[in-house]
Amino acid sequence: MSMIKTKNLVFEYEKRDDEGNIIGAHRAIDEVNLDIEPGQFIAILGHNGSGKSTLAKHMNAILAPSEGTMWVDGKDTGEEENIWDVRQTAGMVFQNPDNQIIGTVVEEDVGFGPENLGVPTDEIWKRVEESLSAVGMIEYRHHSPNKLSGGQKQRVAIAGVVAMRPKCIVLDEPTAMLDPNGRKEVLRTVEELRRKEHVTVILITHYMEEVIGADRVIVMDRGHVVMDGTTREIFGQVDLLKKYRLDVPQVTLLGYELKKKGYDIPDGILSVDELLEALEKCKAVDVKTKASEVFNRKKGTVISEKQQPILKLDHVNYVYSPGTAYEKHAVKDINLDIYEGQFIGVIGHTGSGKSTLIQHLNGLIKATDGALYYKGENIYSEKYNLRELRNNVGLVFQYPEHQLFEIDVLSDVCFGPKNQGLSDEEAKERALEALKLVGLPEKYYEASPFDLSGGQKRRVAIAGVLAMKPKVLVLDEPTAGLDPKGRDEILDQIAYLQRAGNLTVILVSHSMEDIAKYVDRIVVMNKGNKMYDAEPKEVFAHYKELEKVGLAAPQVTYMMHALAERGLQVNTEATTIEEAVETISKALENR
Amino acid sequence: MIRDITIGQYYPANSKLHRLDPRVKIMCTLLYLISLFLFDNIGGYIVATVFLVSVIRMSKVPFKFIVRGLRPIIMLLMITVLFNLFLTKAGDVIFKVWILQVTDEGLETAFFMAIRLIYLILGSSLMTFTTTPNALTDGIEKLLWPFQKIKLPVHEIAMMMSIALRFIPILLEETDKIMKAQIARGADLESGNIIQKAKAMIPILVPLFVSAFRRANDLAMAMEARCYRGGEGRTKMKPLVYEKKDYIAYAITIIYFLVALSA
Repeated sequence: MSMIKTKNLVFEYEKRDDEGNIIGAHRAIDEVNLDIEPGQFIAILGHNGSGKSTLAKHMNAILAPSEGTMWVDGKDTGEEENIWDVRQTAGMVFQNPDNQIIGTVVEEDVGFGPENLGVPTDEIWKRVEESLSAVGMIEYRHHSPNKLSGGQKQRVAIAGVVAMRPKCIVLDEPTAMLDPNGRKEVLRTVEELRRKEHVTVILITHYMEEVIGADRVIVMDRGHVVMDGTTREIFGQVDLLKKYRLDVPQVTLLGYELKKKGYDIPDGILSVDELLEALEKCKAVDVKTKASEVFNRKKGTVISEKQQPILKLDHVNYVYSPGTAYEKHAVKDINLDIYEGQFIGVIGHTGSGKSTLIQHLNGLIKATDGALYYKGENIYSEKYNLRELRNNVGLVFQYPEHQLFEIDVLSDVCFGPKNQGLSDEEAKERALEALKLVGLPEKYYEASPFDLSGGQKRRVAIAGVLAMKPKVLVLDEPTAGLDPKGRDEILDQIAYLQRAGNLTVILVSHSMEDIAKYVDRIVVMNKGNKMYDAEPKEVFAHYKELEKVGLAAPQVTYMMHALAERGLQVNTEATTIEEAVETISKALENR
Repeated sequence: MIRDITIGQYYPANSKLHRLDPRVKIMCTLLYLISLFLFDNIGGYIVATVFLVSVIRMSKVPFKFIVRGLRPIIMLLMITVLFNLFLTKAGDVIFKVWILQVTDEGLETAFFMAIRLIYLILGSSLMTFTTTPNALTDGIEKLLWPFQKIKLPVHEIAMMMSIALRFIPILLEETDKIMKAQIARGADLESGNIIQKAKAMIPILVPLFVSAFRRANDLAMAMEARCYRGGEGRTKMKPLVYEKKDYIAYAITIIYFLVALSA
């Protein structure tokens, strides 16, 4: 019997006007037919708003079909009396780790599900212990969830589902809000559960790398299932995936780009080994262009001796809650010269002090010790106007859309300029300009910011900072939670602004691929210290040291090292796909 | 920092106090609080001090951590002290400046009032430090259970309290973040008169409410997904059963109460 089966499943969200009358319907799921076998690992991909989350909520009977039927383990989810069975059979893990933990102590949270099921007390304790052990969180059983990392919270959430003894676990973007280490933690846990407990796993994600181990991949777009096949079959169709605002793993992309260049590489490469094998076999049959000798790598901005840094940090230290048990030296003796026009990437694992560091840049927090100069002026001197500094140094926080508050998009973007003391007309002019810069379609200017999609909200929030015309733009994880296309769009826009407007950009990111692609200088933070501060290739050459502090190099770097180890004469300094294609072409020619 | 507030937080440790039944802790705290307002001589304070200090030592919660809980009420404390100090007219005048005079009785009342308030906060925060919010709500649920008969939705009240407690630190952190984000956009939260200040709160309160509703929505869904359907048919992971130690705790507190009142 199939674990999950749907027949012509349709789900419509009702659209209502201000009085609450139904004025139409939005088909989030449109005629979906699926059949999922027990014990399989299924990945569901799709851009933001493609209907994949709505589908997941059906598997747990949180939503009931508008038309058609869904069966979970043979039980119709539309039938009222099956709801509790369905929910126990298909447990669900959600995206936001904070919003799904009910208990204030780890073990009590894990016990919540069994309590609801009416499981006897002794049995609850047994199940709680077993499930916490299964996710490797047993030593945290007496902790408060608030003190755990994102990855640990998600593992607790998974334990909470496992304790209900489900046959199937549905994970709705469980890693979207986590850092790379948290993501690995969660995926390893899921993989282990699948191996040991033989549960069916349905993973919804935006990260293509997470999907490589799946038995089957389902791609959704506008409520339809548009692709359905093995990982290799799906990732073999790069162009089609891009059309659906998705992506492929880096190694697959490299194979695809090489093939486009004329090398005889099969579609859907899934590992470095496969790539190497293909490269060994392939004869450069029909290579269109000769490989160029040097990388056309972005050069760091040339700094003349006399040039004054736009921002200068001089022995900056910051201590949280000094003199208490929670004292934490978050930033230690940082010296940093930031020059106009640079695109700087700041990397470091969660808790490395990078968020604290960037909040110094516009005076939001004041260094416990040390000084910060903006264009040569000490911002901590008594007469210094901090509001003026904030006009010049714009800071976009993580999930900036959570600060939107006005009744329409335009007014919200006007908030910053108005605080600068501009007149209504001037503010509006600035707002229109900023909205154009982030590429938000004009039809949304009058809409409520709360009615927009996630990616659009993000743009409005960034526009809200750009409208203040800052000279320096600091962004903390601007792409978190967006689909692959959304990520590229935002970063391309920022890179364009940096080049065109001579804007200085400081980008905090967990994605080494993004860092390698866009920035010309990297600052690595570790335990409050500045570990490295150099050009990307130099920093990533230390990939072994980076790993020791919970970071990594871009995947391309690893692929190049793997290829070089196996005798292909590639330049291991390559960090982006373009560079990799070049150096591989060159290596193949010289073979 | 906003997240330094410790009132209402749980401090994980493994002490005799932590293991007591929450009902015992609630009832004994109540008795202790009542005692603070009943005795009126120095002997009572000495007994209360001895009781409080020994209970704090037993709890294994660091003293520094408990004292930090007093910080948010410093203002309240100051006001109470000042009022008692200057507005008590009885007793001998110690000194007098303009219309302000301090009498020996005023000094005494102010001093003991401050001690009372501090003991009140220390005692009740000790209860939350040693009792997980879940256990606390379980205790309240069980204690209020008789009122179910008069249609009081006891389980629902308890669940609401437990969720509120769980989200207090999260929402505090969120407030901190939103404030910083709006300051970064040039918001001025400090200057201006009271109306301007109130208006300046809009950019903080609106996102905070939106976020609270989003979280509430998510949480409701997560609870339903884990088969939550109210109190009926639910079992307990940690059912409340009185043990010997709980009766002993009751006995000790009652003895304290009687000694403090008769001292």
